[in-house]
Amino acid sequence: MIDVDNELIEHMANPNNYGRIEDASSIGIGENPENGEKVIIYIDVKDKGGKPFINDIKFEAIACMTTVVAGSIITQEAKEITFDTAEELIAVTLGMLEHVPPEQAACSEMVAVALKAAMDGYNLSKDSDKKETLIYKIEQSCSPELEYKEEDK
Amino acid sequence: MKEVLVKTHELWLVTLMASFMSKDCEAKRALNDFSDIIFRHFTWLERALIKQNIEYDYNRDQIPIKVDNTKVIYNNIVARINTIELMLVRLEDEDLKFRIQKDFDYIKYVVSNLDGEAVSAFNAKREYKDVKLSKEATDAFTLFLFEESYKEYELIMIYNYLKAHSKDDFLNKIFQILVDESFFHLKSFGQMMAEMGILGVPRVIHKSLYQIEDVVQFLKDGIDEELAAKEQCLELSEAVGKDSEELSRFFDFINYQENYHIALMQDALKYYESKGD
Repeated sequence: MIDVDNELIEHMANPNNYGRIEDASSIGIGENPENGEKVIIYIDVKDKGGKPFINDIKFEAIACMTTVVAGSIITQEAKEITFDTAEELIAVTLGMLEHVPPEQAACSEMVAVALKAAMDGYNLSKDSDKKETLIYKIEQSCSPELEYKEEDK
Repeated sequence: MKEVLVKTHELWLVTLMASFMSKDCEAKRALNDFSDIIFRHFTWLERALIKQNIEYDYNRDQIPIKVDNTKVIYNNIVARINTIELMLVRLEDEDLKFRIQKDFDYIKYVVSNLDGEAVSAFNAKREYKDVKLSKEATDAFTLFLFEESYKEYELIMIYNYLKAHSKDDFLNKIFQILVDESFFHLKSFGQMMAEMGILGVPRVIHKSLYQIEDVVQFLKDGIDEELAAKEQCLELSEAVGKDSEELSRFFDFINYQENYHIALMQDALKYYESKGD
């Protein structure tokens, strides 16, 4: 059972960066192949000191509320940072998930790999007119933990 | 007209949320009725777009609704109507324009005259009336309300879209019942969220969810989801049962309502399969 506090409620009621960027520099998708759940990340990329910089980021989730919360947190962290820092963020996020139960980890993993897909897609298509939308799949299954169990008490 | 559809969609949700925030019975009833009327405007505009072969979707902006006093949200409703009225000037369908405009005249008059009241729908106290729930039961109830209020909104939009794009009377009857049922659930859950101090507007629905390519698979998945929802209702009913007969009976009621939804979806599924779609 997820421990619900005011911060979590705020993420559920008003998720940060939810929506899409119409003229996004790149779009990346993280997908759960087991159930078709998806996270779509839109990034607006600018150049900062010769390095790509995430000027704006938004996400959409076709998934459970836990994924929306993960999207709200991770996209907030990924806003206004360089790709190098975003790569570190992804690595740290995925590293942390090794210690989390798979059903919870999958939701955050889906966001992290969608961000990675958006960045890789940008790098692939920055020198061409054609934009690549990459889809990265995850291995875990994402299930919303809504059930109330007697033993949780 | 696409922009009018988007703004009407947003106005519908703001008015519905305002009805949850208000504790005054008369204001709540009026806002609830107005939200229904505005949703009908939405369906009329959608039909007009389809008739003109104009592509559209259900995308919209995030809607901030966190206010301390209902007067702020009432003023916001009137401001949103004023914006739509300016857009309506360019609408070519005079009958449609007239119908919407006359509804707006009355809605603005009533909403402008509603008294403001302090809002507790965002205080995050997570107390339901005078019911004392354990932390675990409160958390489960909170997560259920967020997940299911979005789900009901999603279902309203999906079935509405299917209905708007179908000329089949049998299917349209089923879709309309499912829209109505989801409306009832959304309103019930929204009211509970306001009572708990955790009211939030359902997030924007992605177009792949309603622009369905495989309706048969959608119905099969939907039946599975309804069965899972029944389980959740049963578990919640048991979890809150010892603390609140009212909540326990409510979740039992929702659980049994899902049977009807499943039966309707099975009817639609059989019909699609018999047609070879």
